[in-house]
Amino acid sequence: MRIEDFQERVFQLGKQLGFTDMEIYTEKVESLGCKLYKGEIDSYQTSETLGVSFRGKMDGKMGYAYTENTDEDSVQYLVKEAKVNSLLIEEDVQEEIFKGSEQYGDHTFYSEELNDVSIEEKIEFLKEIEKEVYAFDERVTGTNTLSLSSSEKEKRLVNSNGLELKDRTNHIGLSVSVIVKQGKEVKNGVFSRVTRNYHSLAAKNVAEHAVKEALSKLNAESADSKNYSVILRNKAAAALLQTFSPIFSAEQIQKGQSLLKGRLGQKVAAEHVHIVDDPFYGDGVRSGNFDSEGYATRKKDVIKDGNLLTFLHNSITAKKDNVESTGNAYKASYKGTITVAPSNFYIIPAEKDLPDLVAQVGDGILVTSFSGLHSGTNTVSGDFSIAAGGFLIENGEIKTALKQMTVAGNFFDLLQQIEEVGSDLEFSLAFGSPSLLIKELAVTIE
Amino acid sequence: MLAKSVIEDVLTAALQTGGDFAEVFAEDRFANTLLLRENKVEGSLSGRDFGIGIRVFKGFQSAYAYTTDGSKEGLLKAAYQAAAGIKGERNVTASPLVQEKIVSAHSIAAFPREVEKQRKADVMRKAYEIAKNYHSSIQQVGIRYLDEEQHVLIANSEGKFVEDKRVRSRLSIQSIASDGNQMQSGYYGPGAHQGFEFMESLDLNHYASEASRIAVTMLGADPCPSGKFPVIIDNEFGGVIFHEACGHGLEATSVAKGNSVFADQIGEKVASDVVTYIDDGTLANEWGSLAIDDEGEAARKNVLIENGILKGYLIDKLNGRRMGMPSTGSGRRQSYRFAPTSRMTNTYIANGKSTPAEIIANTEHGIYAKYMGGGQVNTTTGDYNFAVMEAYAVKDGKIGKPLRGATLIGNGPETLKLVDMVGNNLAHGAGMCGSLSGSLPVNVGQPMIRVSEMTVGGRKGEE
Repeated sequence: MRIEDFQERVFQLGKQLGFTDMEIYTEKVESLGCKLYKGEIDSYQTSETLGVSFRGKMDGKMGYAYTENTDEDSVQYLVKEAKVNSLLIEEDVQEEIFKGSEQYGDHTFYSEELNDVSIEEKIEFLKEIEKEVYAFDERVTGTNTLSLSSSEKEKRLVNSNGLELKDRTNHIGLSVSVIVKQGKEVKNGVFSRVTRNYHSLAAKNVAEHAVKEALSKLNAESADSKNYSVILRNKAAAALLQTFSPIFSAEQIQKGQSLLKGRLGQKVAAEHVHIVDDPFYGDGVRSGNFDSEGYATRKKDVIKDGNLLTFLHNSITAKKDNVESTGNAYKASYKGTITVAPSNFYIIPAEKDLPDLVAQVGDGILVTSFSGLHSGTNTVSGDFSIAAGGFLIENGEIKTALKQMTVAGNFFDLLQQIEEVGSDLEFSLAFGSPSLLIKELAVTIE
Repeated sequence: MLAKSVIEDVLTAALQTGGDFAEVFAEDRFANTLLLRENKVEGSLSGRDFGIGIRVFKGFQSAYAYTTDGSKEGLLKAAYQAAAGIKGERNVTASPLVQEKIVSAHSIAAFPREVEKQRKADVMRKAYEIAKNYHSSIQQVGIRYLDEEQHVLIANSEGKFVEDKRVRSRLSIQSIASDGNQMQSGYYGPGAHQGFEFMESLDLNHYASEASRIAVTMLGADPCPSGKFPVIIDNEFGGVIFHEACGHGLEATSVAKGNSVFADQIGEKVASDVVTYIDDGTLANEWGSLAIDDEGEAARKNVLIENGILKGYLIDKLNGRRMGMPSTGSGRRQSYRFAPTSRMTNTYIANGKSTPAEIIANTEHGIYAKYMGGGQVNTTTGDYNFAVMEAYAVKDGKIGKPLRGATLIGNGPETLKLVDMVGNNLAHGAGMCGSLSGSLPVNVGQPMIRVSEMTVGGRKGEE
């Protein structure tokens, strides 16, 4: 049935079954993607999906359920399951169905220009990248991935307290992974970006970036395993920041799972570290004018001059701490329950570019990528020991590619040991960082 | 779920632009997740996933469209969208659908949807009590309960029409221990292709105590040294090393285009003689088991490596075309939102001849990895890494002090050749595996094994 009718039926039945406050959140997504392999589109994918999540309050408890089917059976399923779920909940602090903020940002996160790019144009673009990839160096033997995908999402939040919010976003994602071979040595290099600015992508630059990276990894050598000064290149630093971002969530703090507990107002990072959460970041993948509870979002400093200024809150954690929500209520999708997460979260860039940092470090290691971040890190203790790829730096110059290594340390210590923040801010989805110079980390090289 | 006549129309529509094969995958899944912390049910979520994926092939080309609109109009629209990805004139007609009956080796006694949620919460409370009371240093325990009933329908233009219902249950226990200065965690997450009977017969004492024991043990552990050592990896979830080191590299996804280090190696010696590696989706009621894969092919036992010789790959239909090899019943996907590709089911190293005691006694100086965390592999280069949840130093043939923060890195093909002892205590452990076609339940398994040399990374530095 039509979503408007479905919503009416759900609210009707919900009231009958005893829900006092109710909310329906829907996500409508359309996507189109294609992959190129040796001049041919070898995979093409399109989708149109609708997902509905229901939240309802009964006797002070919140029940959740979701569905991707909008038939009459699903009306019954959604409301009845939510009721059973609400009866099970034993948590003390209750969620609220929000009446609305006084004012919302009116930023636009939809690019009409992107919408106008035809599928033929996208395929031509991929073909151009492929041509450039093979033309760049004869050691290129193939590609793992050469894909473009675009998607458009419409979010709608409606509740029984009169709040009705809508948001529409789109973006395009490009992913390129090339393979180079020299003798028996095989390496790959990647380029990936998610953006709303299609024309910021240039075939030649993309190809050059991926191939150069793959080539630079050839002739990898070993080096002594010991403590080194380490430069984390922008995307690697962003990936590490993403992995440890839960430490800033009030939810984690309240569960006693973050060592930042009780440290508001204190110096938790080196002086020149400045981290912001910016829901209005123009090209951000998590940009939006309202959060998953319907609160107005806002930009905020999380760490400034090394001092921890705020945790990230939704209304539930805010109530516990007796503060205002920071507009960071988050649902991974309509399938999730309300939690806390950053919007676009990044370290503000400073002056020096990567070559400056390399010159400054003298002898050390440049880490360009991490692998296995989901398993080699402990966000509770801050400890990490992660596989990494990168280069040896000697006398202020990048010397040679290194065999696979592990980089071990503690994230809380690392924040204090950031000696220099670079100028080259780059995002890995919603998380961004410039390159960072870290005083010392334990490195083991194969 | 969908009428046969509608599916026939959809397949016909999907073939209109010259496709030579079309397939419909429909899914209706009911899932429940419950979360208990500090002995209180903190979350309970139910959901119904529903959607249809339509796939068209033309030679090596494939097009895929998916939708949550199950009406005939919605399906035809998706079929046209998939067809738009293929260029040509109609030249294949869909065969009439013939219903296939499957006999599942995975019988289900108690379907989760028929079990009251309070009973599920009771299991969680029991596990909580055991884990929390294990030791005074246990600060927090989180229990996650998950069950799902996934009804799938797979039909294709070759006349296949088959349905299956997959039921899975899993209980995860995470314990956090603290001594005031530091926190360490332990985890155990048993799961099965079974209904609520799995929860009722689960040895909660064992799993909940182990999760807490690991956390408590790690509190007293030294930072792991780094360097190159012989590494002993225990059975069950220890098998994650081969999942990363060679399982992914044997999937047609990376083999078909020649990008895997194992491409064109059939019949070649790729591992030491003591290594036999098997993927078996037919193991009764195991977490990674299936009656049919997501392309409607019967699950089977595939011997991948036998006594060190590469015997076969894991193959799905599309990659099979490029390789000129038939499907091995390995086409899997997380949901209708993903086109299927070759994936593992229950993958394990077969039993060898050594006893675990012999393996340890034969190791002069090394690392014993009792429980593994997760890992990752680059299938192009074969480089892998994974974390060790519970590790110990081994000295003079004896297990010594516990070590924390150990990460193992290496290269899959090289590691396979360095396996020098294989134990006789094969067991399987449940995990989730992420790849092109989404996140899937898989088992990893092995007996205790020893690798003569691995690179171990830790915070302590070289010894």
